[in-house]
Amino acid sequence: MQKRLTVTPERCSGCRTCEIACSIKHFNVINPKKSAIRVMVLYPNPIIRMPVMCSQCRIPKCAEVCPRGAIKTDEKGVVFIHAEECVGCQMCVKACPFGAIYLHEDLDTPFKCDLCGGDPECVKACANGALHFVPEHIFGQDHRMSNVLSYTKMKEIEYTLHGEKKQLRYTEIGDHKNDK
Amino acid sequence: MTNKSGYFWKILNIDATTGKAIAKPIDEAFAEKYIGGRGFNAKFVYDNLKKHGKINPLGPENLIAISPGPLCGLYIPSSSKTSLAAISPATGTYGDSSVGGSFGVELRQAGYDGLTITGRAPQLSYLWIDNDQVSLIPFPKIKGKTALEAERMVKEHIGDHAVSVAVIGPSGENLVKYACINCDWGRNAGRTGMGAILGSKNIKAIAVRGSCDLPVFDLKRLVEVSQKAYDYLRNHDMLTFWQHVGLMSVIDYANTHGFLPTNNFRDGTFSKVNKINADEMIAQGHKINDTACFACPMSCGNVCVVKNGKYAGAAVEGPEYETTAMFGSNLGIDDFSAVIKANQLCDELGIDTISAGNLIGVLMEGYQTGLLTLKDLDNKPIEWGNSEAVFDLLHKISSREGIGDVMAEGALGLIKKYPKLERIISHVKGLEQSAYDGRGALSMALSYGTSDIGAHHTRAWTIGRELEEGENWTHEQQAELVIYHQTLRPLFDMLGVCRLPWIELGLDEHCYAEMYSAVTGKKATLDDLLERSKHIYNLTRTIGIEHGLTSKDDLMPPRMTKDPVQSGKLAGRKIDPTDYKKLLDIYYQKRGWDKNGVPPKEKY
Repeated sequence: MQKRLTVTPERCSGCRTCEIACSIKHFNVINPKKSAIRVMVLYPNPIIRMPVMCSQCRIPKCAEVCPRGAIKTDEKGVVFIHAEECVGCQMCVKACPFGAIYLHEDLDTPFKCDLCGGDPECVKACANGALHFVPEHIFGQDHRMSNVLSYTKMKEIEYTLHGEKKQLRYTEIGDHKNDK
Repeated sequence: MTNKSGYFWKILNIDATTGKAIAKPIDEAFAEKYIGGRGFNAKFVYDNLKKHGKINPLGPENLIAISPGPLCGLYIPSSSKTSLAAISPATGTYGDSSVGGSFGVELRQAGYDGLTITGRAPQLSYLWIDNDQVSLIPFPKIKGKTALEAERMVKEHIGDHAVSVAVIGPSGENLVKYACINCDWGRNAGRTGMGAILGSKNIKAIAVRGSCDLPVFDLKRLVEVSQKAYDYLRNHDMLTFWQHVGLMSVIDYANTHGFLPTNNFRDGTFSKVNKINADEMIAQGHKINDTACFACPMSCGNVCVVKNGKYAGAAVEGPEYETTAMFGSNLGIDDFSAVIKANQLCDELGIDTISAGNLIGVLMEGYQTGLLTLKDLDNKPIEWGNSEAVFDLLHKISSREGIGDVMAEGALGLIKKYPKLERIISHVKGLEQSAYDGRGALSMALSYGTSDIGAHHTRAWTIGRELEEGENWTHEQQAELVIYHQTLRPLFDMLGVCRLPWIELGLDEHCYAEMYSAVTGKKATLDDLLERSKHIYNLTRTIGIEHGLTSKDDLMPPRMTKDPVQSGKLAGRKIDPTDYKKLLDIYYQKRGWDKNGVPPKEKY
């Protein structure tokens, strides 16, 4: 089963603990500039915080442009930069549509998210539940659910249980058979 | 070679007059004695005072020191704090402030343990620290821009939206004595007028970008200790609640206990509190996001917006308790969206919300009780709850227009021009009192009175504990608690971490000593560190004494001693000056200060 890293940006507090955890795991130092996940903070307009990291693309643009073929996808779908074949030309950095490949002056080769071998540190470090590591087939589940919950033809019955006001919501076959 | 020593051993010294930047070395003995952050700053401010004898706070000779501590930026809950200190234009003596966000993290990553600025730039400029490349860049077209607009302009000018920027608004440029410094869009070094000092140096902003590894002696050990702290906080029953409402929860707490400043500290309960509390914030859908400082799991910050009504479109990182109390109940404003709007205005204009809310309250009461005339107010009446008049005043303070020009001088300036107002201003040493009514608990009054910067609550916040369990406390116990807080809380500012994990969720303070040892490689217990913090408190006190403060300046203002709280649990309470003086004497004694409050001569 392939799992992917995914983000709920509206839950991100911008604390960047994920960046610290990533740099410790990969380089054994604390340095947010050596993290393969970066939290982008935009304010005051628009207001958004968005952690950015590699999506492990099925057709990786980074691999396509690599002149040495140093970027390969392993059997678990993780895209790796093989340092020993890399010449440090930075083509992959420019090619990534998400800006999710990084450089640092201390390092000879670019670096990116490798999912920590299947147990991503950033997910564990996130105190606000903004980062998730989940099987691919459940992607979009939240969207599907919120779409269903906002269905406009939902009806309501209000009732009281143990003194508490409650609601039952449902849909019903009506006379609007021709609704599209 | 990897640096594992806990420090970068360099302080960046900027002379704004010449634009010269020198990285001055510090040695091991210095780092051990002063730790960092507030400790370093106090020493730099003291040395500068010794060099000049007397300092005009807004003169080129004043030195502003900005230092994150040695734990700042690390894998430690809320390792986000940077301290700023200088001779304050508000009080004329030692002043400091601290800020979260990530400015200090970036400054450390640029390779410095601190930054000092003296002089005055010939043109309005911004300071650009890009690792070891440092330059003072003239940028006259930034003049008069609001803080957030200026931050955007600096980032654009540099061409990097990810740099960290500390910036002043127009109030700082106009030397408003409680102008703040806004960092990373919405985190403010609010108190004691640090923004005015940057303004006096003709420096509109400081932008930093760094890429160095942060020095840690034993990373494995640090991660071990910190992981325990993170696990403790993340498993805490109150964490979710805390993330959900943060410091806004204090509004109801303060109102219930009767110390929520209301109508210029005349009262301690607000009848319309449910229009400005956390429930209202959530129910009206104002809160759209959590926001956190660097490395903090608690995300006490709220991002609030106004979705409809006359203030639609107002948005702010905040408001938190202080701002809501000072602009809500203290001004009789019962509309949370007006508080959001006021907070946004203060951030944009670069004014401290506590001082501004306090002084506007004084103006409202002064006008309504006849101490001020309509003419004094530029013919614009100002009644309790009139939010439009408040916004108008904020603009006038920032641009020093009419009555705003007097208010921009702070409590002392206002008293100088209108001596009768002294009767109703809550301040100590010229710093306007923050949003906890000192009449509620004698230890809280002592905390305000003996705080080295004036009536601010960060040094010791004892009111909650005294009201909950201190009914039969002796003066000795009160003094001891204040001293313990005044020693431990500043230690957080020396280390570069936030105190909230400890004070709010009960994280054991001893873990910070273990973290310090892991980071610096120097074994130290909490008691060792507290000893050093005490030394710094004596130092900042000494700066005050050398700048002319006496034990009279530790006394309570008339509002606290003459006017009883009008309603609520504390109704009828006021500070008895004789009782307070007794407590003060015991406090001096326990501190080892003489009867005039002068600390023993030590070598600093």
